[in-house]
Amino acid sequence: MSQVEVPIPAADSPPELEPLITVQHLVKRYGDVLAVNDVSFSVRKGEIFGVIGPNGAGKTTTVECISGLRAPDSGVIRVDGLSPQRDRDRLREFVGVQLQEGALPPRITVGEAVGLFASFYRDPLDPDHLLESLGIRELKDKKFRTLSGGQKQRVSIALALIGNPRIAILDELTTGLDPEARRETWDLIEQIRQRGVTVILVTHYMDEAERLCDRLVLIDHGAVRALDTPETIAARAGGNRVRFVPSAPVEDRVLQAIPGVNSIERKDKYVTVTGTGDLAAAVIDALAKMGVHPSELEARTGSLDDAFVQLTRKSAPPEEERT
Amino acid sequence: MFPIALLVLFYWVGTLNPGDVAGSGLTVLELWIPTILVISFLMIGMIGVPVTFARDREIGWLRRLSTTPVPPSRLLGAQLALNFIVACAATAIVIGAGDVLFGASFTVGIEFVGVTLLAIAELFTIGLMVASIAPTQQAANYIAGGLLYPLLFLSGLWIQPVQVGGLLELIMWYSPVGAAARALLYSAFNVTPPYMTILTMAAYTVLFGFVAVRFFRWE
Repeated sequence: MSQVEVPIPAADSPPELEPLITVQHLVKRYGDVLAVNDVSFSVRKGEIFGVIGPNGAGKTTTVECISGLRAPDSGVIRVDGLSPQRDRDRLREFVGVQLQEGALPPRITVGEAVGLFASFYRDPLDPDHLLESLGIRELKDKKFRTLSGGQKQRVSIALALIGNPRIAILDELTTGLDPEARRETWDLIEQIRQRGVTVILVTHYMDEAERLCDRLVLIDHGAVRALDTPETIAARAGGNRVRFVPSAPVEDRVLQAIPGVNSIERKDKYVTVTGTGDLAAAVIDALAKMGVHPSELEARTGSLDDAFVQLTRKSAPPEEERT
Repeated sequence: MFPIALLVLFYWVGTLNPGDVAGSGLTVLELWIPTILVISFLMIGMIGVPVTFARDREIGWLRRLSTTPVPPSRLLGAQLALNFIVACAATAIVIGAGDVLFGASFTVGIEFVGVTLLAIAELFTIGLMVASIAPTQQAANYIAGGLLYPLLFLSGLWIQPVQVGGLLELIMWYSPVGAAARALLYSAFNVTPPYMTILTMAAYTVLFGFVAVRFFRWE
């Protein structure tokens, strides 16, 4: 990583976790529209890194700058020390890409497409073996246009992986798939990681990001809103909630003193405590010390969904005021 | 198949109208064979190439290719090369069949080869221009289709320049297809074609090529 000019913030990358991809102060405009405004993050070797955000947030633009499809207006991107613009040819050997809208010619068969792509790379995987492991070997002689949505996505993954890449960039992989096909695709992505491939996953599905990603960046209006593990982001948005019926009256003051508690709500006989950390255990502990038993106890951890809504609803960004 | 169908058609027309056409000293078949060649090149280079290219661009296939170590320019190159081979094969079939089966009296030489290559280049460049300016596959279809009929007429499919005379004859002669048909006609009988036909073809190739490059895009 000797070519990286600016040091990466320590909190973002402990020394033992070497960043494979770094994005620093990325800016990209389309005419008057500021699509990406000063985005910085880094992706570690071997992780599944999520890029999440609402539609039009700048997610795709960001990853397209990483894969070299678009040239940034400013900022520095390094992929294993290489510049996606200057070292395009070298980068393409080890970065596999699945595009959001990347159809194949209608009459090409799956086998032909995978064979064709295998011929593009210096050290490709065995096409039959890859199709087998993706569970689409029986589609080999089928024409692309006759495939279902889920099958097309699998072919798309196969094409992204056939070059035996070290990095796979998957953009909106499960959009338009039925729930079962989505789940199967998730399993595939985990398989990809087990091969040692670093994955960048662009998605606007929070359940997908929560389930698959080790860390994620939340982009909204072209800017980074959060960068952390899904759990931390979910928790930071104030997510955990414990609801119970106390066996004896408990004062707000007492509950407020429990570490991690942010707010208390009462409705009928129910008390709802919101906060961070291992909230349920802390509340039960504190109540037990007073000899109070909670009944009808219900605990819910904060979801990424809540955090997403909260983080993207925040004050209007400056670039929107200008346009 | 298409050039052979035309060949048979004009052989049949020729048997109904024996002798030379409009004092040109040529039979119907001999006069029309260059037109058949030009039409073949048009069909191959102006319909097939741009529509396929515009489709591949529209569906994102070219973009997808550009993320691999092989750039999409290779795909375009391969398509042009393939279509060029098809055009050469069509030429060989039309000339061979015209000569052997239908008794046209051609003596093709190096000039014919040169003129054929220039004609293919010129008409393929029209196709590339269409591919460049068409925003979608649909548009490429319409533009190519819209250009096809005027070009078929100017190439002399329905009536040859020598039969119309006057201003229309000049317009046909100096159209991209008419110039190609005329140059092919001369060279098919091993006669050096008028320089104006060659110059006209070269000028059109440069002009269309410029427009094609100017408006070209991969995405």
